[in-house]
Amino acid sequence: MNDSISNNASTTVSQGYRNVPGENIYAKQTHLPGERPGQKASPVEQNKKPILEIKGLTKNFSNFTAVNNVDLTIYEGEIFALLGSSGCGKSTLLRMLAGFEHPSDGQIILDGENIVDLPPYKRTLNMMFQSYALFPYMTVRQNIAFGLKQEHLSRDVINERVEKMLKLVHMEEYEDRKPYQLSGGQRQRVALARSLAKEPRLLLLDEPMGALDKKLREQMRLELVDIINSVGVTCLMVTHDQEEAMTMADRIAIMDRGEFVQIGGPREIYENPNCRFSAEFIGSVNMFDCTLTSSNLKHSVISCQDFPLPIELQHDIDIADGMPLSIAMRPEKVYISHEEPKQESNWCSGIVENIAYLGDISIYYVRLPSGRIITATLPNVDRFNVGFPTWDDQVYLSWDPESCIALTF
Amino acid sequence: MAVVSLNAIKRPGSKGHRPPPRFVPDKKMNFRERAIIFVPYVWMILFFLIPFLIIFKISFSVTEIAIPPYSPIITFEEGAMQIILHLENYTNIFTDPDGTYMRSYLKSIQVAAFSTILCLVIGYPIAWALASAKSATRNILFILVIMPSWTSFVVRIYAWMTILKRDGIINDILMTIGVIDTPIQLLQTDLAVYIGIVYCYLPYMVLPLFSALMKVDYSLIEAAQDLGCKPVKTFFQALVPQTKSGIIAGSMLVFIPAIGEYVIPELLGGKDSILIGRILWQEFFNNRDWPLASAVAITMLTVMAIPIIWFFKNQRKGDIR
Amino acid sequence: MFHFKKDTKSLLARVIILTLTLIFLYLPIMTLVVYSFNASKMVTVWTEFSLKWYNALFHNSAIITAVGISLLLAFLSAIASVIIGTLAAFVMVRIRKFSGESAFLLFMTAPMILPEVISGLALLLLFVTLGDLIPVFSDRGLITIWIAHVTFCSAYATVVIRSRFVELDISIEEAAKDLGAGPMKVFFVIILPAIMPAEVAAFLLSFTMSMDDLVITSFVAGPNSTTLPMLIFSSVRRGLSPEINALASVIVLVVSLFAFVSWILTVRKQKRKARNAALVAAARRREAAIHIS
Repeated sequence: MNDSISNNASTTVSQGYRNVPGENIYAKQTHLPGERPGQKASPVEQNKKPILEIKGLTKNFSNFTAVNNVDLTIYEGEIFALLGSSGCGKSTLLRMLAGFEHPSDGQIILDGENIVDLPPYKRTLNMMFQSYALFPYMTVRQNIAFGLKQEHLSRDVINERVEKMLKLVHMEEYEDRKPYQLSGGQRQRVALARSLAKEPRLLLLDEPMGALDKKLREQMRLELVDIINSVGVTCLMVTHDQEEAMTMADRIAIMDRGEFVQIGGPREIYENPNCRFSAEFIGSVNMFDCTLTSSNLKHSVISCQDFPLPIELQHDIDIADGMPLSIAMRPEKVYISHEEPKQESNWCSGIVENIAYLGDISIYYVRLPSGRIITATLPNVDRFNVGFPTWDDQVYLSWDPESCIALTF
Repeated sequence: MAVVSLNAIKRPGSKGHRPPPRFVPDKKMNFRERAIIFVPYVWMILFFLIPFLIIFKISFSVTEIAIPPYSPIITFEEGAMQIILHLENYTNIFTDPDGTYMRSYLKSIQVAAFSTILCLVIGYPIAWALASAKSATRNILFILVIMPSWTSFVVRIYAWMTILKRDGIINDILMTIGVIDTPIQLLQTDLAVYIGIVYCYLPYMVLPLFSALMKVDYSLIEAAQDLGCKPVKTFFQALVPQTKSGIIAGSMLVFIPAIGEYVIPELLGGKDSILIGRILWQEFFNNRDWPLASAVAITMLTVMAIPIIWFFKNQRKGDIR
Repeated sequence: MFHFKKDTKSLLARVIILTLTLIFLYLPIMTLVVYSFNASKMVTVWTEFSLKWYNALFHNSAIITAVGISLLLAFLSAIASVIIGTLAAFVMVRIRKFSGESAFLLFMTAPMILPEVISGLALLLLFVTLGDLIPVFSDRGLITIWIAHVTFCSAYATVVIRSRFVELDISIEEAAKDLGAGPMKVFFVIILPAIMPAEVAAFLLSFTMSMDDLVITSFVAGPNSTTLPMLIFSSVRRGLSPEINALASVIVLVVSLFAFVSWILTVRKQKRKARNAALVAAARRREAAIHIS
């Protein structure tokens, strides 16, 4: 089943996700509406050359399998994120790349060379650790120079490279400080400089923002991407924070129980999740159990016990009529209004049960007659929200046919 | 609520997200690792495990005027190997008409147990006072409490001899303030032995208790008090369970060595403070009966088996954490 | 006393407890020191101030020899114990699972708690048995004492070094490897500086343990290897002696100097910590200001 995942990774370039053959429960999926204008295709162009190829990588521990027969290709110059909750195997995968865990099976090909049996200190990739792992007894300068010294470069070359790195991360005036004399953000920059100093072929980032405050995190994301882009290094990051993955990465792989669930650009995985896990994992979603009533090339009708009216989509769904499926609806794509819609499908009515005011948006919790609660968001464009629905109002929820995602897995 | 924009990831508190725990390496150990294990492992097998097997062996021989002064267990006579196991040493210990051995075992256990309780009762408040001091004061107090144990052990016992003897300070003071007319016998009593053991072993009790108390989650105690728990009950229900491993470690660090203590009863104890450590010493050095001394040691080890196992179980549990 | 932390009632209790403790701990030692300056040969009857026992002490060649032997032994035992302890701690913390791991743990810590009479007897019988095979063990002396001391001191050294070792962040070692440092380099450049305080502590602990041991040493010592505790013990057994008071005072003086130095060092360390915290706070404020602007 994992063959198809490898297909996913490499076929993304030309085909995207829609025509994936094979038996993979995640990859096999319904046909989705065409890409909307403005949605950029996967940022990886076909002529880019792969820098890292992972083939059938597996890691078994005594009582469980952390990484299960995984295939992945990473192309030169991209920032790739492994996204998953803790225990999904993403860190183990990263540690195998860095050489701290030895795979039970499979190949790791970096620049055409299988590095599985190389010890960490002989691999031409560097890692930035979650805790930053700065050497506590060395100054900022010594930390950055450490990797270069291991290559026995001349002192002039080392100094020149260190200066360049200090400048790159704006830490020139702190070069004589020790790590415990720096703030979290500064430590992160030193760690980044240290891992970039050796000009690695591939930079590994382990939860790059994991040790920072929330406020600082948002700032550092963009700064980090700027630095990485200015150096032009290929980057593989591991994170459990989807916002981080989506703002920083060109492509994202969602991981669960040691396997890839979906690989694609941020927009692709948000707008076109290929399974329930993906849809629920990224962002928030209203998920309904439905049944397919009928489907032809350009039109599918779906019935759901939560809605009196049918749901209509403008594409076909590749399962037999009468089969169960799920409909995913993002809260921001559900319109909420006091007025009853005119059309004959894709809407329902309900009572506002709760409103969560978050400042920039408000989240409405609307109870349907069936008892289900559906969430919808409204941007607070008006300071006083004049005319907005309020508690216990009878409201109408509607959505565009393109907004619904039909999921058969 | 679950539906809060993009942050709706499943795990709460994901800020403290840690890399997965250290996994057991599944590959074979390499040469370097084997070499690193080799030195301490071989040292301890050679100088710690094998000696016990030898004691065990010698405890089954009898004393002889020879070098070494015991009979061989395995002899070769006319090409045939003979193994002679003498059980006399053990029967001597258990059926000695005076009951010296059995009495000294019981006495040792009694003295060790009572000293352990004393150390615990005295050491717990000390450890608590240390642990709850401000960190600057704690450092200096800690050094002050530990410092006496850096000085010579025999010298410390000697100091108590000068204090406890007939014309020592305590008798002087008591006679000056008129509590007693004639000096009382303090040295060479069980009391002196207890004082000596508590004085010398107190740090071994205080240290594990201190480190256990440093790790105590005081919010549990506050919660107990908040819920109306009386101080004594709070102590036994909130503090003692949290410091249990420290209590066990400290008690065993006092109890086990105290059973075999030799110097303290020898210098501070009277003629009747015949503890098992003294017996072993006398059999070995004075009577040169090595087999009997070995049998005494093996019997002593058997007595201590349970506390030793308890101690190690406790230590292991602390390791896993 | 159960109003924990920041409580005036418990402060009083703590002061009383610690005062009593310190009196109990120091009164005997102070008595020794005071009477070492006593002119009378009667140890406990004060006559007048005198330094004659110190004079006698420094001219007592038996004591001087014993001190020399003890110091040499303590030094050599401490070095070997720290090496073995470091290796053992490394095995326990970084290699872990291997066959016989729990036996290893037992061996490394059991010498700490076993009664000394048993350990001493066990080692002696080993040396006697091995003496037939290896001549080094046949005449007992410094080497046999050294082995015995290393055996129990390395148990203590292991515990001390291990407790520091487990606190090390393994990712720092991984970072060094990631940056191209081989295992030996990682050990000497990354691990060793980080566990240095524990190495020093283990050395000092082993040193004092070795200096102080009487029972095990008595079993394995030969006729020409009388250590200081053995000498003190035999003279104490014969009766009280003012020279021992003088010797004890010298020991107390050395130990207190030592304690003083270690206290100074901890104070300095704390000051350094406070300074670093101030630097970090300043950097944080600056960082926040940049991000707002």
